[in-house]
Amino acid sequence: MKGVLVDITRCVGCGSCVVACKLYNNLPWSNAPHLGKDAVLTADNWTVVKEFDVSKGKESVWRFVKEQCFHCLEPACASACFAAAFRKTPEGPVIYNERVCVGCRYCMIACPFSIPKYEWQARFPRVQKCQMCFYRVKDGEMPACVSVCPAGALKFGDRDALLKEAKERIAQNPGRYVNHVYGEKEYGGTCWLYLSDVPFEQLGFRTHVSTESIPHVSERVTKWTLPVAGGWAAVLTALYLATKGSGGAEKSH
Amino acid sequence: MEVEKLLEEALKQKEVTRRTFLKMMAGLGLAGLAGSVGGCLRQHEVAAGGEGWLPYQYDVAGTWPAHVRGRVPIDPSNPSIMRDDRKCILCGQCLEICHRVQSVYGYYELPIRDDIVCINCGQCSLACPTGAIQERDDTEKVLKALKDPNKFVVVQTAPSIRVALGEEFGMPPGTWVTGKMVAALRRLGFHAVLDTNFAADLTIMEEATELIKRIKGELPGRPLPQFTSCSPGWVKFCEYFYPDLLPHVSSCKSPQQMFGATVKTYYAEKRGIDPRKIVSVSIMPCTAKKFEAQRPEMISARKYWEKKKGPDFAKDVTRDVDIVLTTRELAKLIKQAKIDFPRLPDEDFDPLMGKCTGGAIIFGASGGVMEAAIRTAYFFITGKEPPPQLLDLKPIRGLASVKEAAVDIPGAGTIRVAVCQGMAASRQVLDIVRAGKAPWHFVEFMACPGGCESGGGQPRSSVPQANEVRAKRTASLYAADARWVWRESHENPDILKVYQDFYGHPMSELAEELLHTHYTSRADKLKAIQPSEKEKPWEQYYPARLTPEI
Repeated sequence: MKGVLVDITRCVGCGSCVVACKLYNNLPWSNAPHLGKDAVLTADNWTVVKEFDVSKGKESVWRFVKEQCFHCLEPACASACFAAAFRKTPEGPVIYNERVCVGCRYCMIACPFSIPKYEWQARFPRVQKCQMCFYRVKDGEMPACVSVCPAGALKFGDRDALLKEAKERIAQNPGRYVNHVYGEKEYGGTCWLYLSDVPFEQLGFRTHVSTESIPHVSERVTKWTLPVAGGWAAVLTALYLATKGSGGAEKSH
Repeated sequence: MEVEKLLEEALKQKEVTRRTFLKMMAGLGLAGLAGSVGGCLRQHEVAAGGEGWLPYQYDVAGTWPAHVRGRVPIDPSNPSIMRDDRKCILCGQCLEICHRVQSVYGYYELPIRDDIVCINCGQCSLACPTGAIQERDDTEKVLKALKDPNKFVVVQTAPSIRVALGEEFGMPPGTWVTGKMVAALRRLGFHAVLDTNFAADLTIMEEATELIKRIKGELPGRPLPQFTSCSPGWVKFCEYFYPDLLPHVSSCKSPQQMFGATVKTYYAEKRGIDPRKIVSVSIMPCTAKKFEAQRPEMISARKYWEKKKGPDFAKDVTRDVDIVLTTRELAKLIKQAKIDFPRLPDEDFDPLMGKCTGGAIIFGASGGVMEAAIRTAYFFITGKEPPPQLLDLKPIRGLASVKEAAVDIPGAGTIRVAVCQGMAASRQVLDIVRAGKAPWHFVEFMACPGGCESGGGQPRSSVPQANEVRAKRTASLYAADARWVWRESHENPDILKVYQDFYGHPMSELAEELLHTHYTSRADKLKAIQPSEKEKPWEQYYPARLTPEI
């Protein structure tokens, strides 16, 4: 299982990763900002670098957060998709097949990070999100965005090794990072891991979230579907059989 | 099928009884349940779309260049440069220039603070092969000012524009186009076409005087060597990376700002123009000049009028320099106005601030400021004209990154000078000064390799900027100097007049007020990384000539 470690303290906000994503995936440039404070993920912006002006102790600092699909270990989008248009690959990327997608957008509701975006303007709309350059990763290459980072803020590798390295970086640089690797446990863990020197909630991350994956949570409820449906049928049948005789009696009145 | 049959039956009967309706619903429910159960039982088998489908649409590597290396960060609010991301191909040329030649990117520790470190030199815009990085376009502001009947728009043109502007119109690098440039500016509608060279002479008068005073020890707190201050990229570099050396930097403003302060005071008074109506435009080879003009302290004319006519009058006096255009932007304006530049007649600058000397012309090349300053310093110290070898100071000319010379001036002894171009190479001189081992009296720094003639706003005649182009422009400047009537700044009749009528003498109280400035440390914006002793990444571009014994 591959992953990417994003070290927010090393990001200089150049936006190379955003341009790389556009070039590699041949995505059109839209009017939606892809850099800066108003940067927003859209069907054409699979990744953006968002600027946050925050305070760190007494200092005011600028921090840049690369946003894209987190590539959950147990993705809610794939779980919600009844057409199986989303799939978690063994290599890590969560990928999407436009040919089987029916456009119901359950994935967009299911995703705890609000990542998938819909091509609202298209005649045959697709759901769009980062694919973690699946064909590159499959061949052992790093995603396009990681390959161009000039500041060393992005690192590609085995998720387990990256997680270990992230914890080592925290331990070896006391005071540099907040003691948390975002993505280690959030919603059951994600392939993209983040390190930061300012609290994650100040950088637009959803914190105080479940450490259980969404499919895991929904499984607790949905596993009762069959028993409930079967039981209900049994109850109705029993009621029918019990009242069959009296129906005839009613007629005779 | 069952449903249809039921429906047909119901229609036949032309009456849906409760029984048939319930039967129908139960049938539908059973069918749904059977489907769901069937689907769920199949869930670990083949998914819809077949086994191991892969989304074909991501199989193509888009417009992915063969060689990708990332790019420098540029603040969207940077006053000097901007980038069109649609054109960026991540070739990494901007990184090369910024890191290796200017030693800015990669020379500060991460994480960053609240600034994207940039010295605004614009060398990245000269290296960018697709033109994604450009100067911030201010041509609209100029057109707006020219259309306003209540404005008096003055324009100044830097020394190096006249050897490069022709390149935008198909002329070879180094073509001397001063006369055509003046004619074009008149045709664009500027009300007064004046010369930054005048202010370059003014700078030399002030800077040479300051140097002599420093050598004599008359300026406490201002140590030797004196550093030049005309390159705003260099000044910002010093503020970022060598703030402890700021007392060495000459307090003289750059020619652009001296011009701006003088045009809204002296020129306005002489010509009887309301300073509130003056829009001061400058044509510069430089993107950092856009930043310099916006520095908060560059409002000397406003302060002058505040003293003279009160705050109500002064509040409408705008910045000393209102709009800065690069050479490329001027070419754009000329082309937009459909002016046939190569066929223009040669015209002369307007009076009062239009004359210049050879010393001012060579400001446009690395080493020029130093040479001009030595000429005038020699005159100030000895009262005599400098000998011919001082009018052709070869050791400090040319494209070597660090150049040195020693000049004997009777009455002052040997004056040792150094000239640096490109900030990475300049670090070796700065580190010697920082260590307190500097043998020099005066050091010139130019942020851009080659000096202004190869500044970040110059025509992109070769990408990246080639030394051949640099050499031709430089040669053209020195050739003009050699044939000029006046060679030394103190010979300029307009300069003599401005001191006689307005400033009094160099470094007078009024001159200090309008022509001198102060600097701010930017040390709080970054934590600098000192490059290792052996690392000299600029050398592949510009071999250093620093003598080993120093």
